[in-house]
Amino acid sequence: MSIEEQIKEIVAKIVHVDKNLMTKESTFKDIKADSLDMVQALVAVEDKFDIEILDEEAQKFQTFGDFVDYVEKRLAEKEKA
Amino acid sequence: MSLKGKLALVTGSGRGIGRATALKLASQGADIVVNFFRRREAAEQTAKDIESLGVKAELIRANVGDPAKINEMFDVIENRFGHLDILVNNAASGVGRTVMDIDVKAWDWTMGINARAPLLCAQRAAKLMKGRHGKIVNISSLGSLFVLPTYAVVGVSKAALEALTRYLAIELTPQDICVNAVAASAVETEALKFYIKEGLIKDNRQATPAGRMIAPDDVARVVAFLCSEEAFMIRGQTIIVDGGTSIAPFIAAKEAQ
Ligand SMILES: NC(=O)c1ccc[n+]([C@@H]2O[C@H](COP(=O)([O-])OP(=O)(O)OC[C@H]3O[C@@H](n4cnc5c(N)ncnc54)[C@H](OP(=O)(O)O)[C@@H]3O)[C@@H](O)[C@H]2O)c1
Repeated sequence: MSIEEQIKEIVAKIVHVDKNLMTKESTFKDIKADSLDMVQALVAVEDKFDIEILDEEAQKFQTFGDFVDYVEKRLAEKEKA
Repeated sequence: MSLKGKLALVTGSGRGIGRATALKLASQGADIVVNFFRRREAAEQTAKDIESLGVKAELIRANVGDPAKINEMFDVIENRFGHLDILVNNAASGVGRTVMDIDVKAWDWTMGINARAPLLCAQRAAKLMKGRHGKIVNISSLGSLFVLPTYAVVGVSKAALEALTRYLAIELTPQDICVNAVAASAVETEALKFYIKEGLIKDNRQATPAGRMIAPDDVARVVAFLCSEEAFMIRGQTIIVDGGTSIAPFIAAKEAQ
């Protein structure tokens, strides 16, 4: 499963939304994610991939795609290190 | 009051009241474990500020809402230091909802961080405090006693924390550990700014009979006192730090001055 798919699964489960309705363009408002959903999704993704997602960065995410791109970037950095 | 040679863990001490408390204990000579969750930069700054006081600071990221992460944090403390003298359960989170809107997720999240974590931390801490006259201080709020808008789940978690404080105080006496709580009313921190912005509490910053707003340091000083031997005979109490607000509900602050 791609990273995007894995994150989608995690977010969909937390927000209780159909993952087939989520695209990279979906905003968190589109999927009706509140601030608690957001924190829980961040924490779940951090645990899953063993990375730290800085809050300063997470606050900039507008869309689901931004979230996925950031995780992919962190994973690539981790790979290099 | 000197805390030289003591080791203190302050949960959620990157910013706000936790930061003020960590710096206060450090200024009295204690080495500090700075625990944080989402704000690494703030926590790094706090650790730096602690070290500039000439004591050690150990940074540990852990979501105290996750029991496994609490255990990992204490494993680090145990391996690195082998003991602990002071635990301040300060970290708190919450979901602003009216009672009819609280769902299981909001309840579990808030209770997990505000009520369960202090218990789990106290259990691990007590073992590391053997023979060291340990001190545990829990940070509560007046929302445990009084009704604030959309504060229900946090208020209930703080009431649980205060009850837990009493049980810990008695059941940890054989281990020679003093346990108390400090409950503040509105303190000038980011959390308060949020509540004022959302219109949930009035912006009455001058409004305490004592004549000014409560600062994080006002809370920190009381915590430091409870961590000292001077407070040895105070057990299981929740000390209210509110500039007199709660006992004068019918007196407007300006009149009281
Ligand atoms: N401000 C007030 O008016 C007021 C009044 C009465 C009582 N209190 C109590 O005082 C304490 C501190 O409040 P504050 O106003 O300083 O809070 P704040 O500014 O909202 O900061 C909360 C602190 O708790 C940490 N935290 C939150 N969730 C955590 C988690 N799951 N694991 C570990 N750390 C976590 C945060 O760390 P990160 O930033 O790293 O996420 C941050 O350091 C709380 O117990 C609060 O209930 C506050």
